[in-house]
Amino acid sequence: MAIPTLDFGELSLRDALDLAVLIEEESKERYEELANQMLIHRNLEAERFFWKMVQIELTHERKLSFRRKRLFHHEPVRVTRAMLFDVEAPEYDQVRATMSVREALGVALSAEKKAYAFFETTLPAVKDPQARELFTELRNEELEHCGMVEAELARLPPEPMMTTDDFADEPVAH
Amino acid sequence: MSTPSEHPLPVCQAKDFKSDLKPIWCPGCGDFGVVQAIYRALAAIGRPPHEIAFVSGIGCSSRIPGYTTAYGFNSVHGRALPIAQGIKLANPDLLVLVAGGDGDGFSIGGGHVPHAIRRNLDLTYIVMDNQIYGLTKGQLSPTSPRGLKTVTSEYGSFENPVNPLLYVLAYGAGFVAQGTPADMASLSQVIEEAIRYPGFSFVNVQSPCVTFGEPEQQVKQHRAMMKPLATMGHDRTNRLAAMGLAQEYGRSLHTGVFYADPAPPTPLDGLVRGRQAELAGKGLPRERILEMFLQK
Repeated sequence: MAIPTLDFGELSLRDALDLAVLIEEESKERYEELANQMLIHRNLEAERFFWKMVQIELTHERKLSFRRKRLFHHEPVRVTRAMLFDVEAPEYDQVRATMSVREALGVALSAEKKAYAFFETTLPAVKDPQARELFTELRNEELEHCGMVEAELARLPPEPMMTTDDFADEPVAH
Repeated sequence: MSTPSEHPLPVCQAKDFKSDLKPIWCPGCGDFGVVQAIYRALAAIGRPPHEIAFVSGIGCSSRIPGYTTAYGFNSVHGRALPIAQGIKLANPDLLVLVAGGDGDGFSIGGGHVPHAIRRNLDLTYIVMDNQIYGLTKGQLSPTSPRGLKTVTSEYGSFENPVNPLLYVLAYGAGFVAQGTPADMASLSQVIEEAIRYPGFSFVNVQSPCVTFGEPEQQVKQHRAMMKPLATMGHDRTNRLAAMGLAQEYGRSLHTGVFYADPAPPTPLDGLVRGRQAELAGKGLPRERILEMFLQK
Protein backbone atom coordinates (compact mmCIF):
# COMPACT_ATOMS: atom_id res chain seq x y z
CA MET A 1 0.00 0.00 0.00
CA ALA A 2 1.68 3.19 -1.15
CA ILE A 3 1.35 6.37 0.86
CA PRO A 4 -1.93 7.84 -0.42
CA THR A 5 -2.16 11.42 -1.59
CA LEU A 6 -5.12 13.75 -1.60
CA ASP A 7 -7.02 14.88 -4.64
CA PHE A 8 -8.48 18.18 -3.44
CA GLY A 9 -10.77 18.32 -6.44
CA GLU A 10 -12.60 15.27 -5.09
CA LEU A 11 -13.04 16.56 -1.53
CA SER A 12 -16.61 16.73 -0.28
CA LEU A 13 -17.65 18.77 2.75
CA ARG A 14 -17.49 15.60 4.85
CA ASP A 15 -13.94 14.85 3.65
CA ALA A 16 -12.92 18.47 4.21
CA LEU A 17 -14.25 18.39 7.78
CA ASP A 18 -12.51 15.10 8.48
CA LEU A 19 -9.30 16.51 7.05
CA ALA A 20 -9.60 19.59 9.25
CA VAL A 21 -10.07 17.38 12.34
CA LEU A 22 -6.96 15.37 11.42
CA ILE A 23 -4.93 18.55 10.88
CA GLU A 24 -5.83 19.75 14.39
CA GLU A 25 -5.10 16.30 15.83
CA GLU A 26 -1.65 16.25 14.20
CA SER A 27 -0.91 19.71 15.50
CA LYS A 28 -2.07 18.83 19.02
CA GLU A 29 0.12 15.72 19.09
CA ARG A 30 3.16 17.68 17.94
CA TYR A 31 2.66 20.29 20.67
CA GLU A 32 2.40 17.44 23.17
CA GLU A 33 5.73 16.12 21.92
CA LEU A 34 7.33 19.56 22.19
CA ALA A 35 5.94 20.01 25.72
CA ASN A 36 7.46 16.67 26.72
CA GLN A 37 10.79 17.64 25.15
CA MET A 38 10.79 20.82 27.22
CA LEU A 39 9.87 18.88 30.37
CA ILE A 40 12.74 16.44 29.83
CA HIS A 41 15.14 19.38 29.43
CA ARG A 42 13.66 21.23 32.43
CA ASN A 43 12.48 24.23 30.44
CA LEU A 44 9.25 24.60 32.37
CA GLU A 45 8.15 27.96 30.93
CA ALA A 46 8.26 26.70 27.37
CA GLU A 47 6.69 23.44 28.51
CA ARG A 48 3.72 25.33 29.99
CA PHE A 49 3.32 27.31 26.78
CA PHE A 50 3.30 24.18 24.62
CA TRP A 51 0.71 22.53 26.90
CA LYS A 52 -1.42 25.65 26.44
CA MET A 53 -1.14 25.15 22.68
CA VAL A 54 -2.20 21.51 23.14
CA GLN A 55 -5.38 22.73 24.84
CA ILE A 56 -6.06 25.26 22.07
CA GLU A 57 -5.61 22.68 19.30
CA LEU A 58 -7.75 20.21 21.25
CA THR A 59 -10.55 22.78 21.48
CA HIS A 60 -10.38 23.35 17.71
CA GLU A 61 -10.38 19.61 17.07
CA ARG A 62 -13.42 19.08 19.30
CA LYS A 63 -15.37 21.92 17.70
CA LEU A 64 -14.74 20.51 14.23
CA SER A 65 -15.54 16.95 15.35
CA PHE A 66 -18.84 18.12 16.85
CA ARG A 67 -19.72 19.88 13.61
CA ARG A 68 -18.84 16.81 11.58
CA LYS A 69 -20.96 14.58 13.80
CA ARG A 70 -23.89 16.97 13.62
CA LEU A 71 -23.81 17.06 9.82
CA PHE A 72 -22.77 13.54 8.94
CA HIS A 73 -23.41 11.46 12.08
CA HIS A 74 -21.50 8.20 11.78
CA GLU A 75 -20.88 8.20 8.03
CA PRO A 76 -17.47 6.62 7.34
CA VAL A 77 -14.26 8.62 7.26
CA ARG A 78 -12.52 8.48 3.88
CA VAL A 79 -9.42 10.54 4.62
CA THR A 80 -6.56 9.37 6.82
CA ARG A 81 -3.56 10.87 8.57
CA ALA A 82 -1.41 9.21 5.91
CA MET A 83 -2.78 11.73 3.42
CA LEU A 84 -1.35 14.77 5.18
CA PHE A 85 1.99 15.65 6.69
CA ASP A 86 2.80 18.56 8.95
CA VAL A 87 0.05 20.94 7.85
CA GLU A 88 -0.25 22.88 11.12
CA ALA A 89 2.20 20.92 13.24
CA PRO A 90 5.06 23.07 14.56
CA GLU A 91 8.45 22.17 13.11
CA TYR A 92 10.77 19.97 15.16
CA ASP A 93 13.86 21.88 14.11
CA GLN A 94 12.59 25.22 15.43
CA VAL A 95 12.68 24.29 19.10
CA ARG A 96 15.66 24.44 21.43
CA ALA A 97 16.21 23.18 24.95
CA THR A 98 16.89 26.69 26.21
CA MET A 99 14.23 28.53 24.23
CA SER A 100 12.28 31.41 25.78
CA VAL A 101 8.50 31.76 25.77
CA ARG A 102 8.92 34.42 23.12
CA GLU A 103 10.77 31.93 20.93
CA ALA A 104 8.11 29.30 21.64
CA LEU A 105 5.47 31.78 20.48
CA GLY A 106 7.54 32.26 17.34
CA VAL A 107 7.32 28.50 16.72
CA ALA A 108 3.53 28.64 17.11
CA LEU A 109 3.33 31.65 14.78
CA SER A 110 5.27 29.76 12.08
CA ALA A 111 2.88 26.81 12.45
CA GLU A 112 -0.18 29.06 12.04
CA LYS A 113 1.37 30.72 8.99
CA LYS A 114 2.12 27.30 7.52
CA ALA A 115 -1.51 26.24 8.00
CA TYR A 116 -2.72 29.47 6.38
CA ALA A 117 -0.43 28.80 3.40
CA PHE A 118 -1.80 25.25 3.14
CA PHE A 119 -5.43 26.40 2.86
CA GLU A 120 -4.50 29.30 0.60
CA THR A 121 -2.58 26.99 -1.76
CA THR A 122 -5.12 24.16 -1.86
CA LEU A 123 -8.28 26.27 -2.02
CA PRO A 124 -8.19 26.81 -5.82
CA ALA A 125 -8.20 23.02 -6.34
CA VAL A 126 -11.27 22.37 -4.16
CA LYS A 127 -14.34 22.08 -6.39
CA ASP A 128 -17.20 21.25 -4.03
CA PRO A 129 -18.81 24.63 -3.06
CA GLN A 130 -19.45 23.62 0.56
CA ALA A 131 -15.92 22.25 0.96
CA ARG A 132 -14.60 25.47 -0.56
CA GLU A 133 -16.61 27.47 1.94
CA LEU A 134 -15.16 25.45 4.80
CA PHE A 135 -11.59 25.78 3.50
CA THR A 136 -12.10 29.55 3.16
CA GLU A 137 -13.40 29.71 6.74
CA LEU A 138 -10.45 27.65 8.02
CA ARG A 139 -7.96 29.77 6.09
CA ASN A 140 -9.40 32.93 7.61
CA GLU A 141 -9.31 31.38 11.08
CA GLU A 142 -5.62 30.65 10.64
CA LEU A 143 -5.09 34.28 9.81
CA GLU A 144 -6.95 35.25 13.00
CA HIS A 145 -4.77 32.86 14.99
CA CYS A 146 -1.66 34.50 13.51
CA GLY A 147 -2.98 37.85 14.72
CA MET A 148 -3.64 36.43 18.20
CA VAL A 149 -0.11 35.02 18.48
CA GLU A 150 1.37 38.28 17.24
CA ALA A 151 -0.66 40.21 19.83
CA GLU A 152 0.60 37.84 22.52
CA LEU A 153 4.16 38.39 21.33
CA ALA A 154 3.67 42.16 21.52
CA ARG A 155 2.51 41.85 25.14
CA LEU A 156 5.68 40.03 26.21
CA PRO A 157 8.61 42.02 27.55
CA PRO A 158 11.59 42.23 25.17
CA GLU A 159 14.09 39.38 25.09
CA PRO A 160 16.90 39.61 27.63
CA MET A 161 20.37 40.41 26.35
CA MET A 162 21.45 36.78 26.67
CA THR A 163 20.75 34.41 23.81
CA THR A 164 20.41 30.65 23.72
CA ASP A 165 24.07 30.48 22.68
CA ASP A 166 24.99 31.63 26.17
CA PHE A 167 23.42 28.44 27.51
CA ALA A 168 24.75 26.06 24.81
CA ASP A 169 26.33 22.88 25.99
CA GLU A 170 29.77 23.64 24.65
CA PRO A 171 32.33 20.84 24.18
CA VAL A 172 34.54 20.61 27.27
CA ALA A 173 36.75 17.61 26.50
CA HIS A 174 39.94 19.53 25.67
CA MET B 1 -3.48 11.66 -7.63
CA SER B 2 -6.09 9.39 -6.16
CA THR B 3 -9.45 9.91 -4.53
CA PRO B 4 -9.85 9.28 -0.80
CA SER B 5 -12.35 6.47 -1.30
CA GLU B 6 -9.78 4.28 -3.09
CA HIS B 7 -7.78 3.87 0.11
CA PRO B 8 -9.09 1.65 2.87
CA LEU B 9 -8.02 2.55 6.41
CA PRO B 10 -4.59 1.01 7.08
CA VAL B 11 -4.11 -1.87 9.51
CA CYS B 12 -1.88 0.29 11.71
CA GLN B 13 -1.57 4.04 11.74
CA ALA B 14 1.75 5.81 12.15
CA LYS B 15 0.97 6.68 15.78
CA ASP B 16 0.53 2.97 16.58
CA PHE B 17 4.28 2.58 16.08
CA LYS B 18 5.12 5.33 18.56
CA SER B 19 6.15 3.81 21.89
CA ASP B 20 5.45 5.23 25.34
CA LEU B 21 9.13 6.05 25.84
CA LYS B 22 9.74 9.79 25.49
CA PRO B 23 12.73 10.70 23.30
CA ILE B 24 15.55 12.40 25.19
CA TRP B 25 17.21 13.82 22.08
CA CYS B 26 18.07 17.53 22.16
CA PRO B 27 15.06 19.60 21.06
CA GLY B 28 15.64 20.54 17.42
CA CYS B 29 17.44 17.25 16.60
CA GLY B 30 16.91 15.89 13.09
CA ASP B 31 16.16 12.43 14.47
CA PHE B 32 12.68 13.53 15.61
CA GLY B 33 11.68 13.90 11.97
CA VAL B 34 13.38 10.65 10.98
CA VAL B 35 11.49 8.59 13.54
CA GLN B 36 8.20 10.15 12.37
CA ALA B 37 9.08 9.21 8.78
CA ILE B 38 9.82 5.65 9.91
CA TYR B 39 6.42 5.41 11.68
CA ARG B 40 4.74 6.62 8.50
CA ALA B 41 6.62 4.17 6.31
CA LEU B 42 5.78 1.26 8.62
CA ALA B 43 2.10 2.23 8.60
CA ALA B 44 2.16 2.32 4.80
CA ILE B 45 3.80 -1.12 4.66
CA GLY B 46 0.86 -2.45 6.67
CA ARG B 47 2.69 -5.01 8.82
CA PRO B 48 1.71 -5.08 12.52
CA PRO B 49 4.34 -4.28 15.17
CA HIS B 50 4.78 -7.93 16.22
CA GLU B 51 6.08 -8.74 12.72
CA ILE B 52 8.83 -6.10 12.89
CA ALA B 53 12.27 -6.17 14.54
CA PHE B 54 14.31 -3.00 14.87
CA VAL B 55 18.03 -3.32 15.67
CA SER B 56 20.50 -0.54 16.39
CA GLY B 57 24.00 0.02 17.66
CA ILE B 58 25.07 2.81 20.00
CA GLY B 59 24.61 6.55 19.64
CA CYS B 60 21.86 9.16 19.71
CA SER B 61 20.10 7.75 16.66
CA SER B 62 20.44 4.20 17.95
CA ARG B 63 17.78 5.01 20.52
CA ILE B 64 15.18 4.71 17.78
CA PRO B 65 14.17 1.08 18.50
CA GLY B 66 13.16 2.20 22.00
CA TYR B 67 10.89 4.83 20.56
CA THR B 68 9.21 2.39 18.18
CA THR B 69 6.55 -0.15 19.08
CA ALA B 70 8.05 -3.34 17.64
CA TYR B 71 10.64 -5.89 18.70
CA GLY B 72 13.76 -3.86 19.41
CA PHE B 73 17.40 -4.36 20.28
CA ASN B 74 19.60 -1.38 21.16
CA SER B 75 22.73 -3.49 20.80
CA VAL B 76 26.50 -3.07 20.85
CA HIS B 77 28.45 -0.26 19.18
CA GLY B 78 28.85 -1.01 15.49
CA ARG B 79 27.31 -4.48 15.69
CA ALA B 80 23.73 -3.82 14.65
CA LEU B 81 24.16 -5.39 11.20
CA PRO B 82 25.48 -8.81 12.34
CA ILE B 83 22.72 -9.03 14.96
CA ALA B 84 20.08 -8.05 12.43
CA GLN B 85 21.39 -10.67 10.00
CA GLY B 86 21.12 -13.32 12.72
CA ILE B 87 17.55 -12.27 13.48
CA LYS B 88 16.59 -12.37 9.82
CA LEU B 89 18.13 -15.79 9.25
CA ALA B 90 16.50 -17.21 12.39
CA ASN B 91 13.11 -15.76 11.50
CA PRO B 92 12.96 -14.79 7.83
CA ASP B 93 9.31 -13.75 8.16
CA LEU B 94 10.20 -10.77 10.35
CA LEU B 95 10.58 -7.38 8.74
CA VAL B 96 14.02 -6.33 10.01
CA LEU B 97 15.11 -2.70 10.19
CA VAL B 98 18.58 -1.59 11.25
CA ALA B 99 19.40 1.93 12.39
CA GLY B 100 22.40 3.84 13.66
CA GLY B 101 24.62 6.81 13.17
CA ASP B 102 27.51 7.45 10.80
CA GLY B 103 30.04 6.60 13.50
CA ASP B 104 28.30 3.38 14.40
CA GLY B 105 27.92 2.34 10.76
CA PHE B 106 31.08 3.59 9.06
CA SER B 107 33.68 3.67 11.81
CA ILE B 108 33.41 0.95 14.44
CA GLY B 109 30.87 -1.02 12.40
CA GLY B 110 32.37 -0.20 9.02
CA GLY B 111 33.71 -3.71 8.50
CA HIS B 112 30.25 -5.21 8.69
CA VAL B 113 28.69 -3.09 5.95
CA PRO B 114 30.32 -4.76 2.90
CA HIS B 115 29.51 -8.22 4.22
CA ALA B 116 25.88 -7.35 4.92
CA ILE B 117 25.69 -6.04 1.35
CA ARG B 118 27.32 -9.07 -0.30
CA ARG B 119 25.21 -11.51 1.76
CA ASN B 120 22.16 -9.58 0.61
CA LEU B 121 19.65 -10.39 3.31
CA ASP B 122 16.34 -8.59 3.11
CA LEU B 123 17.22 -5.83 5.60
CA THR B 124 16.76 -2.06 5.53
CA TYR B 125 19.66 -0.12 6.98
CA ILE B 126 18.88 3.50 7.92
CA VAL B 127 21.91 5.60 8.83
CA MET B 128 21.32 8.94 10.52
CA ASP B 129 24.36 10.76 9.23
CA ASN B 130 25.11 13.90 11.28
CA GLN B 131 28.84 14.05 10.56
CA ILE B 132 29.74 14.16 14.25
CA TYR B 133 29.75 12.05 17.40
CA GLY B 134 26.95 13.90 19.17
CA LEU B 135 26.27 11.63 22.15
CA THR B 136 29.87 11.93 23.35
CA LYS B 137 29.88 15.73 22.90
CA GLY B 138 31.16 16.46 19.45
CA GLN B 139 34.18 14.53 18.26
CA LEU B 140 35.17 13.89 14.63
CA SER B 141 33.17 11.10 13.02
CA PRO B 142 33.96 9.18 9.82
CA THR B 143 31.76 11.48 7.74
CA SER B 144 32.96 14.78 9.27
CA PRO B 145 34.03 17.12 6.48
CA ARG B 146 37.71 17.90 6.01
CA GLY B 147 38.68 20.99 7.96
CA LEU B 148 35.97 20.59 10.61
CA LYS B 149 37.07 21.91 14.01
CA THR B 150 35.95 19.77 16.92
CA VAL B 151 37.27 18.89 20.35
CA THR B 152 39.37 16.18 18.69
CA SER B 153 40.48 18.31 15.73
CA GLU B 154 41.56 21.60 17.23
CA TYR B 155 43.12 22.77 13.95
CA GLY B 156 40.47 21.28 11.69
CA SER B 157 40.21 17.71 10.43
CA PHE B 158 43.07 16.60 8.18
CA GLU B 159 41.15 13.55 7.00
CA ASN B 160 38.82 13.05 4.06
CA PRO B 161 35.35 11.88 5.05
CA VAL B 162 33.90 8.48 4.24
CA ASN B 163 31.29 8.78 1.51
CA PRO B 164 28.48 6.44 2.70
CA LEU B 165 26.60 6.51 -0.61
CA LEU B 166 29.63 5.71 -2.74
CA TYR B 167 30.74 3.08 -0.23
CA VAL B 168 27.53 1.04 -0.38
CA LEU B 169 27.10 1.51 -4.13
CA ALA B 170 30.64 0.27 -4.73
CA TYR B 171 29.98 -2.86 -2.67
CA GLY B 172 26.91 -3.65 -4.75
CA ALA B 173 23.93 -2.62 -2.61
CA GLY B 174 20.72 -3.15 -4.58
CA PHE B 175 18.88 -0.14 -3.20
CA VAL B 176 20.54 3.13 -2.18
CA ALA B 177 18.73 6.32 -1.24
CA GLN B 178 19.21 9.53 0.71
CA GLY B 179 16.78 11.75 2.59
CA THR B 180 16.53 14.55 5.09
CA PRO B 181 14.03 15.39 7.85
CA ALA B 182 13.60 18.71 6.04
CA ASP B 183 11.19 16.80 3.80
CA MET B 184 9.56 14.19 6.01
CA ALA B 185 6.96 13.17 3.41
CA SER B 186 9.61 12.25 0.84
CA LEU B 187 11.78 10.66 3.50
CA SER B 188 8.96 8.35 4.58
CA GLN B 189 8.32 7.40 0.95
CA VAL B 190 12.00 6.59 0.42
CA ILE B 191 12.09 4.49 3.60
CA GLU B 192 8.90 2.69 2.55
CA GLU B 193 10.44 1.93 -0.83
CA ALA B 194 13.63 0.69 0.83
CA ILE B 195 11.62 -1.66 3.04
CA ARG B 196 9.74 -2.99 0.02
CA TYR B 197 12.96 -3.68 -1.88
CA PRO B 198 13.62 -7.45 -1.69
CA GLY B 199 17.20 -7.45 -0.43
CA PHE B 200 19.66 -5.22 1.39
CA SER B 201 18.56 -1.62 1.14
CA PHE B 202 20.36 1.45 2.43
CA VAL B 203 19.00 4.88 3.29
CA ASN B 204 21.41 7.62 4.30
CA VAL B 205 19.54 10.31 6.19
CA GLN B 206 21.24 13.65 6.61
CA SER B 207 19.99 14.21 10.15
CA PRO B 208 21.64 17.28 11.64
CA CYS B 209 23.01 17.45 15.17
CA VAL B 210 21.49 20.62 16.61
CA THR B 211 24.02 20.86 19.45
CA PHE B 212 27.38 20.01 17.84
CA GLY B 213 26.57 20.15 14.12
CA GLU B 214 27.59 22.92 11.76
CA PRO B 215 25.13 25.86 11.56
CA GLU B 216 25.05 25.60 7.76
CA GLN B 217 24.09 21.91 7.93
CA GLN B 218 20.83 22.24 9.86
CA VAL B 219 17.32 21.30 8.72
CA LYS B 220 16.50 24.88 7.73
CA GLN B 221 19.50 24.95 5.40
CA HIS B 222 18.59 21.50 4.03
CA ARG B 223 15.21 22.89 2.94
CA ALA B 224 16.98 25.46 0.80
CA MET B 225 19.74 23.25 -0.62
CA MET B 226 18.16 19.82 -1.20
CA LYS B 227 17.88 18.58 -4.77
CA PRO B 228 15.24 15.87 -5.26
CA LEU B 229 16.57 13.31 -7.74
CA ALA B 230 13.04 12.74 -9.03
CA THR B 231 13.09 16.20 -10.56
CA MET B 232 16.53 15.78 -12.16
CA GLY B 233 15.74 13.03 -14.63
CA HIS B 234 18.14 10.66 -12.86
CA ASP B 235 17.98 7.03 -14.08
CA ARG B 236 17.72 5.08 -10.83
CA THR B 237 18.49 1.79 -12.58
CA ASN B 238 21.96 3.01 -13.61
CA ARG B 239 24.54 2.22 -10.93
CA LEU B 240 27.30 4.23 -12.60
CA ALA B 241 25.07 7.30 -12.87
CA ALA B 242 24.22 6.84 -9.19
CA MET B 243 27.93 6.66 -8.33
CA GLY B 244 28.53 9.84 -10.28
CA LEU B 245 25.89 11.65 -8.24
CA ALA B 246 27.10 10.05 -5.02
CA GLN B 247 30.50 11.68 -5.52
CA GLU B 248 28.85 15.00 -4.76
CA TYR B 249 28.20 13.85 -1.17
CA GLY B 250 29.24 16.66 1.16
CA ARG B 251 28.86 19.29 -1.55
CA SER B 252 25.26 18.75 -2.72
CA LEU B 253 22.27 17.31 -0.93
CA HIS B 254 20.59 14.97 -3.40
CA THR B 255 17.46 13.33 -2.02
CA GLY B 256 15.56 10.32 -3.26
CA VAL B 257 16.56 7.00 -4.77
CA PHE B 258 20.10 6.89 -6.20
CA TYR B 259 19.92 3.29 -7.30
CA ALA B 260 17.34 0.49 -7.30
CA ASP B 261 18.29 -2.78 -8.95
CA PRO B 262 15.65 -3.35 -11.66
CA ALA B 263 16.07 -7.13 -11.38
CA PRO B 264 16.84 -7.84 -7.71
CA PRO B 265 18.37 -11.27 -7.07
CA THR B 266 16.74 -13.57 -4.51
CA PRO B 267 18.00 -12.44 -1.10
CA LEU B 268 19.94 -14.86 1.09
CA ASP B 269 17.06 -15.33 3.53
CA GLY B 270 14.91 -16.34 0.55
CA LEU B 271 17.49 -18.91 -0.51
CA VAL B 272 17.74 -20.21 3.06
CA ARG B 273 13.97 -20.43 3.30
CA GLY B 274 13.87 -22.39 0.03
CA ARG B 275 16.60 -24.74 1.24
CA GLN B 276 14.76 -25.31 4.54
CA ALA B 277 11.56 -26.14 2.66
CA GLU B 278 13.48 -28.53 0.40
CA LEU B 279 15.02 -30.32 3.38
CA ALA B 280 11.84 -30.38 5.45
CA GLY B 281 11.24 -33.91 6.66
CA LYS B 282 14.59 -35.11 5.33
CA GLY B 283 16.72 -33.81 8.18
CA LEU B 284 17.95 -35.88 11.09
CA PRO B 285 16.17 -35.62 14.45
CA ARG B 286 18.02 -33.26 16.80
CA GLU B 287 19.00 -35.99 19.27
CA ARG B 288 20.60 -37.90 16.39
CA ILE B 289 22.63 -34.83 15.40
CA LEU B 290 24.00 -34.63 18.95
CA GLU B 291 24.95 -38.32 18.86
CA MET B 292 26.88 -37.79 15.63
CA PHE B 293 28.60 -34.73 17.09
CA LEU B 294 29.66 -36.65 20.22
CA GLN B 295 30.95 -39.59 18.15
CA LYS B 296 33.34 -37.30 16.31
